[in-house]
Amino acid sequence: MEYKAPVEAYTGVVREVTIGKGKKSLKIGGENILPFHVFDQGSNPNPAKFALEVLDMKPEDWPEHLVEPFWDVISDPVKWAKKCQDFAVDAVSLFLMSTDPAVKNAPADKAAALAKEVAEAINVPLIVYGSGDEKKDVEVLSKVAELCDGMNLLIGPALKENYEAVGKAILDHGHTAIAQTPLDINLLKELNVKLSKFFPPDRIVIDSLSPALGYGMEYGFSLMERVKQIGIMTKDSMTMMPIIANIGGECWKTKQAKENKEQGLLWEGITALSLLLAGANIIVLRHPETLKLVRETIKAR
Amino acid sequence: MVIIGENIHVIAKEVSTAIRERDAKVIQDLARAQAEAGADYIDLNVGPVKKDTEETMEWLVNTVQEVTDLPLSIDTLNPVAMEAGLKACKRRPLLNSASGKSLSKEQMLPLAKKYNCDVVISVMTDKGMPPDVESKVESIMDTVAYANELGIPNEDIWVDTILLPISTAGEGQRFTVLNLEFIKILEDVLPGVKSTVGLSNTSSGVPDHLRPLLNRTYLVMLERNRLYSAIADPLDKELMSLARGEMPEIVELIYKTMDGEDVNLSSLSQKEIEYVKTAKVLIGATLYSNAWLES
Repeated sequence: MEYKAPVEAYTGVVREVTIGKGKKSLKIGGENILPFHVFDQGSNPNPAKFALEVLDMKPEDWPEHLVEPFWDVISDPVKWAKKCQDFAVDAVSLFLMSTDPAVKNAPADKAAALAKEVAEAINVPLIVYGSGDEKKDVEVLSKVAELCDGMNLLIGPALKENYEAVGKAILDHGHTAIAQTPLDINLLKELNVKLSKFFPPDRIVIDSLSPALGYGMEYGFSLMERVKQIGIMTKDSMTMMPIIANIGGECWKTKQAKENKEQGLLWEGITALSLLLAGANIIVLRHPETLKLVRETIKAR
Repeated sequence: MVIIGENIHVIAKEVSTAIRERDAKVIQDLARAQAEAGADYIDLNVGPVKKDTEETMEWLVNTVQEVTDLPLSIDTLNPVAMEAGLKACKRRPLLNSASGKSLSKEQMLPLAKKYNCDVVISVMTDKGMPPDVESKVESIMDTVAYANELGIPNEDIWVDTILLPISTAGEGQRFTVLNLEFIKILEDVLPGVKSTVGLSNTSSGVPDHLRPLLNRTYLVMLERNRLYSAIADPLDKELMSLARGEMPEIVELIYKTMDGEDVNLSSLSQKEIEYVKTAKVLIGATLYSNAWLES
C-alpha cells in the first residue's frame, strides 16, 4: 500500500500586521499553519522577517567583533541605521537605552527627536523599543508616538503596568504596539485581552521575551510554540498575533558570544533559528553576519 | 456532597491570633457560622503548632465542640498535634491528612487506626507530586494498600488528589483537567474509597473577586465525576446552593460545556455566561488568563 502523509488543516489564522507606511511598509504574520509546516494545508504569506538593532548611544560593553561591522558609525544612530540597510534588513530596531533612569536618564524629547530622524532617514520601517522602565517609558514612548505621528512605527514595550497610557499614545498617533509579558502564557493572554478592549488587535505584536541559548531559550521556545498552537489550532483570538523575538541584546551579553566572533555568530544564529521554528515572525539581531547566516540556512532548507 | 468547612485556618490572621490568645469567641463564631451555613464537618487547620502543642489542640477542639455537634477534621502535619486533636474529639473525626510519604505512613496512618477515624490520604509520595493520572493512581494504590495492611479499610479512606492553582503558568490548566479525570476513575480503581479536594487551591493566585466562580464551577464538575467531599467555604451561599442541587439550570450548562457542546451564549444571562466561560477554562478548552471572563 502506498504511504500517504497526513495533511493537517487548522482553523486559526495569525493576524497580518503591517508596520510602516507606503513604500516603507512591511507585513508580518498572516500564517494559518504552524511554523515551517509547509506540508500542511495553508500557508505563511510573510515568512520570517529580520531587523538589526541600533542603540541610541555608543555601546560600552560590546566586544570588538560586534562593533566591527559598524565601527565607523557606532556613535551616530542615524548613520548606523542607514548602514543597516546595506545588509538587506526588513526593518531597523532602535533601542532607546539612554532614556533608562539607570543608564543616562536621557529626556523623552531628545529620544523622540532621534526616533523621528532615524525613521525619516531609512527606507524600511522602524521598530522603537523603550528602555523597559515602566514609568519612564510612558513618557518616552508617548513622545515618540506623538512626534512620529502617522508613521506607523512598531512601538513598545507596552507592559501590564503601563499598557493603558502607552497603548493610548500608540493608538492616537497611528502606530502599532508591542505587548510584552515575562515568559508566561496566561499573563500574555491577559495583556492582549485588556489591550484589545481599546486597541485594535490587528495592530498588536507579541513580545513574550526571548532568552538566549543556554540562558533559558527553551522557556521562550516552548512559550512561543504554545502561543502558535493555541492560536492556530484552537483559534484563540487573543493569541493570534505575530511574535517579535528581540534576541540581539540577550545573545551578545552572554560570555560565549563575547569570547569570540564565530561563537557569537553561532550563538545568535542558533537562538534565532530555534525561535523561528517555535513561531517567531520577526527577529531583531545585532550582528549583520548572523542575519546572513540565518537567511542562508533557511534558504538551504 | 459532604462539605468540610475551611474557615478555621491559621493562615487567616484573626484565627492565628485567636488561637494564640485563647480567644474562644472568634473561633466559636466561625464554627457556628459554618455549621449554620450547612457544613458537614468543621476543619481545624492549625499548622505545625510548635508551642504548647497538646494543650492548644485540646483547647481548640473543646472550644469548637461547645458550640457545634458537627464532626471535626483535624488538619495538621504535626503528628503530636494530630493525636492530641483526635483524642479530644467527641464524634468520629477525620484525620487530615496522611500521604504516601514515608514519614506520614509511619506517623499518621497508625493514628487513624488507633483512633478508628476516617483519614484523608493524598497522592503525594517521597517522590513529590505525581505528574499525571497514571502516576497518581499508582501512588495512591500503594499508599492505600499500606493503610489496608494496618487495618484501615477502604471505606475509611478519603483520597485527596491535591488540586493546584489554575493560574500556575502554563501548567495549571493541565492539572485541573487531569484531576477531573482522576476523580472520575478513582472508585473503579479503589472500590469503596471516598474522595476529597481542597477546593479553594484551584483559585489560589486568582484576583479575589473571581475566586468563588472558579471554586463553584469546579465543584459542580468534580461532583459530576463522583467527588465525595470538598474542603471548601460553606459561607459561600452560591457554592452551597450548587452543592445541594438547588441550581439545576447552571449545573446543566456546566455539564453541557464539559461535554463539548457549543452553548449559545446569546440566549444566556450574564451569570450563566460566566459559568460557561469558567467551565471552558477548567476543562482546558480555552487558554486561561485572569481576564477569562472578558474575552
